[in-house]
Amino acid sequence: MKAFLDYIPGDSPLHRLNPLSKFTISVAVCAACFISTSPLVLCALIVLDLLLAALGHIFTFALKLLRGLAGLSVFLFILQVLFIRTGRPLFTLFSGFPVTTDGIMNAARLVLRLTGSMLPLAVMLSLTKLNDLSGVLTWYLHIPYKYAFMLTTAIRFIPVFTAEMESIMEAQTARGIEFDTKNIFKKIKLIMPLCIPLLITSVGKSDTTAVSAELRGFERRNRHSMSVIYPLRAPDSIAFVFSAGLIAAAAVL
Amino acid sequence: MQVIQFSSADFSYGTFPVLSDISFSVEKGEFISIIGENGAGKSTLLKLFNGLNRPTAGTVSICGLDTRSAKTSELAAHVGFLFQNPDRQICCNTIREELNFGIHTDPERTERILQTFGFTPDASPFSLSRGQRQQIALASVIARNTDILVLDEPTTGLDYRECMSMMSYIRKLNREEGKTIVMVSHDMEIVQDFSGRILVLTGGKLAADGPARTILTDRQLLEKASLLPPQIADTALRLGSGFADIFTVQEMTDRVGHILSAVAVQTQDVHI
Amino acid sequence: MISIKNLSFRYKESSTPALDNVSLEIGKGDFLGIIGESGAGKTTLANCINALIPHHFHGDYFGSVTVGGTDTFDTEPGSLALRVGTVFQDPDTQMVADIVEDEIRFGLENFGIPKNLIEGRITAVLNDTGIAPLRYRQIRNLSGGQKQKVAIAAITALEPGILVLDEPTGELDPASSRQIFTLLKSLNKEKGITVVIIEQKIMLMCEFAEHLAVMSHGRIVSSGTVRDVLSDIPKLESAGINYPRTVRLYHELALRNLIPEGEPVCVTTAEAAVLVTKIIGKEDICR
Repeated sequence: MKAFLDYIPGDSPLHRLNPLSKFTISVAVCAACFISTSPLVLCALIVLDLLLAALGHIFTFALKLLRGLAGLSVFLFILQVLFIRTGRPLFTLFSGFPVTTDGIMNAARLVLRLTGSMLPLAVMLSLTKLNDLSGVLTWYLHIPYKYAFMLTTAIRFIPVFTAEMESIMEAQTARGIEFDTKNIFKKIKLIMPLCIPLLITSVGKSDTTAVSAELRGFERRNRHSMSVIYPLRAPDSIAFVFSAGLIAAAAVL
Repeated sequence: MQVIQFSSADFSYGTFPVLSDISFSVEKGEFISIIGENGAGKSTLLKLFNGLNRPTAGTVSICGLDTRSAKTSELAAHVGFLFQNPDRQICCNTIREELNFGIHTDPERTERILQTFGFTPDASPFSLSRGQRQQIALASVIARNTDILVLDEPTTGLDYRECMSMMSYIRKLNREEGKTIVMVSHDMEIVQDFSGRILVLTGGKLAADGPARTILTDRQLLEKASLLPPQIADTALRLGSGFADIFTVQEMTDRVGHILSAVAVQTQDVHI
Repeated sequence: MISIKNLSFRYKESSTPALDNVSLEIGKGDFLGIIGESGAGKTTLANCINALIPHHFHGDYFGSVTVGGTDTFDTEPGSLALRVGTVFQDPDTQMVADIVEDEIRFGLENFGIPKNLIEGRITAVLNDTGIAPLRYRQIRNLSGGQKQKVAIAAITALEPGILVLDEPTGELDPASSRQIFTLLKSLNKEKGITVVIIEQKIMLMCEFAEHLAVMSHGRIVSSGTVRDVLSDIPKLESAGINYPRTVRLYHELALRNLIPEGEPVCVTTAEAAVLVTKIIGKEDICR
């Protein structure tokens, strides 16, 4: 079963791009999202994300992601609108919560930024093998291998912990604990029986991974240990120029 | 009295079918084991007993409750589930709190269980060994005093003594308190020693349902299910028809002795 | 090859010794099974062989462990790793990579194996462990048995002379467990790798191992060939070992004086059937 950050193998133009270029593009899109203040530009960036996904032959996957983010986006949008009261009031909700222009603008910006920055990261991780990512971070960006390894290990463990969490929920549900309660305070109290087993297992797991890595020579590794090279080609320079242009455009528009 | 009833139950993950046309019923006080190779659907089937999985077709009825409509917490009042890995549920600071966690626990009963198992009530469950943590998980299932106990590979990771101690306690619950036990296990010797009745699962279907002795001595059936018979039954099957019904070490030894004395008598007759 | 002399060890946080004056010789090319109750000291002993004790786990250490002439007390586990490879129980957490071939590449890169030799080694070890079709698969989507084979491949790629395995089939079903033991046996016989394995699955241990060491309360209470160890039932029982039913059958028959002179203890069901056939003297009754 494919987890949402799994590598999706393929032979698209984006697959063939150097991992560093893919990393740069996604960072550039994220940065552009936070630099720009115009909701129109932010929408354009999201469309750009979808175009990139299409270029990587994973358009349907990107749409699924969007749908997944929709719920959270709606929730955050409403929260922002309810609590921001500056600007010209448009109408009132629940007799006491004025909906203002500022409220709507800020909410829109927040939601669009969230979507616009999460999409490129997810798309990039689906088109890049984790090993390749840590490879280029170590080689081109001179990031110490230790940190690149930490990053890729963290990403790799997300589905492991998600699965673990599901098993924990099953085990606690089987004891009669109701996780589908509407009461928010009850829900918070129920977090502990979920988090404690997860924390305990994660500590144990990380020790085994650390020892296993150490026993296979982790401490000896340096920038030159890599056996795979990641050459930069013409399409990669296009990617870098494009990224720089994107950030500039976001600052100006 | 029937406590469990499966009627043509199917289960699929999305469009992926896992179980089909499962029908059987269990009387109160039975001890049944479900065996089958990896991937046959055993764990999926177990989760149908307490509502963690709901049948996508057919019905599953537990103590009169239809699992398609009953809440998991309602079913949890009748079914206690022991998972393979105790670390997925242990979450309290002391053993006493851990046993009192979950619905339908009774402080007095918890104290009695603490004594029977010999736990130090205020000790932290996290500092104990894997075998002891599994015992705590079992104790917390027993503390809820359900009529049915479902056990998913309960002896994983335990050594022989821990395994025997756990299984003897479960047998006591079955024989003395009339609890209905449903167990999944890979260990054929445990299945042989403790079950009265066995269900064989192959490719998501119920391939056989019968007394332990009949099932475990049927080589063809077990081969089809990619399972090996328990050791003595396997030895007996290799020895042929003269040993067809042999199941235990005692029976095998007795049969050998019997054959030898029969031969001795024959030889005597010849001499005379 | 591995020489353990008067080894005692007590973990820092513990009041009782985990190992108490243990001495053992493991020959090159041996297939040794270590059995015993939980807490008997099996994992501790294994961790002394790969130098995790005393370098990663600290405590009071007495005696010595030499591997191929090198004292583990003076060698970091990372340095010893080219001679002693370790496989752990949990198939998920001992993996460091996403894709199978990257997992194998990891150790080879770290130890500076010449880059032009790496691809060849990966291919060779994938063939030796029978998982060549899994080369480009994502590790997370493999079965437990396949993951353990990947772990074994990743370690044998470094060509250690010794493999130490701590309950590698603990979480696996019987069929996958048997596959792992079969793989280890072939690595032992064809590559001459010394295998030291801890397991609770007694039947498989007795079938595949050549020597057994029984541990109880931090000591080795019995050691020798599989048959020698299985012949001493009282020792096995007091160490809490669940010896095979076929062995119990042998001893029940022995109690009734039915075992022919010099007949060794039977381990597998095939051997048990042959034994019973011999006793009743009817060749044709055995299928």
